Amino acid sequence: MAERSGAGTAQDLDRVLANLRALSDDIESCAVLSGDGDLISSSHEPGAERERVGAILAALVNLAERVARESGKGHISQLRIDTGGGHLLMVRLDGGGVLAATTGQDARVGLVLYDMRNSRGEVEKVLAEGSDE
Amino acid sequence: MKKLLRGLFLLGAIAGAVYAVRGYLQGRPPATENVHIIFDDGSVRSMASNTTEGQEFTDIARKLVEVGL
Repeated sequence: MAERSGAGTAQDLDRVLANLRALSDDIESCAVLSGDGDLISSSHEPGAERERVGAILAALVNLAERVARESGKGHISQLRIDTGGGHLLMVRLDGGGVLAATTGQDARVGLVLYDMRNSRGEVEKVLAEGSDE
Repeated sequence: MKKLLRGLFLLGAIAGAVYAVRGYLQGRPPATENVHIIFDDGSVRSMASNTTEGQEFTDIARKLVEVGL
């Protein structure tokens, strides 16, 4: 559920993520983190748990960007982590935000990432429209 | 000569077995690469979970997989 309920952005973002989940049934949860580190859309209701998830996700993005810097690369484009109990997948958006998703251990990760990359443009478009308002 | 080679072979086998048993008893996870980062220039960096850097990523990711996003 998106946080900025006043603007059309929130509903549009929820719709894009709902489409993504419908397209890829291996996705258990997904979220969008802005370039400022704010959790714009999440399956968690606003509250402490949502803030915690946003902070953890932001920490992961920072860690990945640190690795990119230390490796002499510009930015990360994609991140895939197998935790043993499931996968965490992340695709970078224009402006430094990320589209992230979790899946079960037996998910078709390549296919999920393909669907996430396809949805990336739509998420970026919604975010750009939101920032124009 | 033959005896010496047999002795060396036996010694190698015993050392290998000791190493394997020690790893099993210490519960060391197998060195599989489970963190994959693709950079915007298309290059890829993979890390194993038994490295310090890889462990950092998997620890954070595990929390997110458990609670959901």
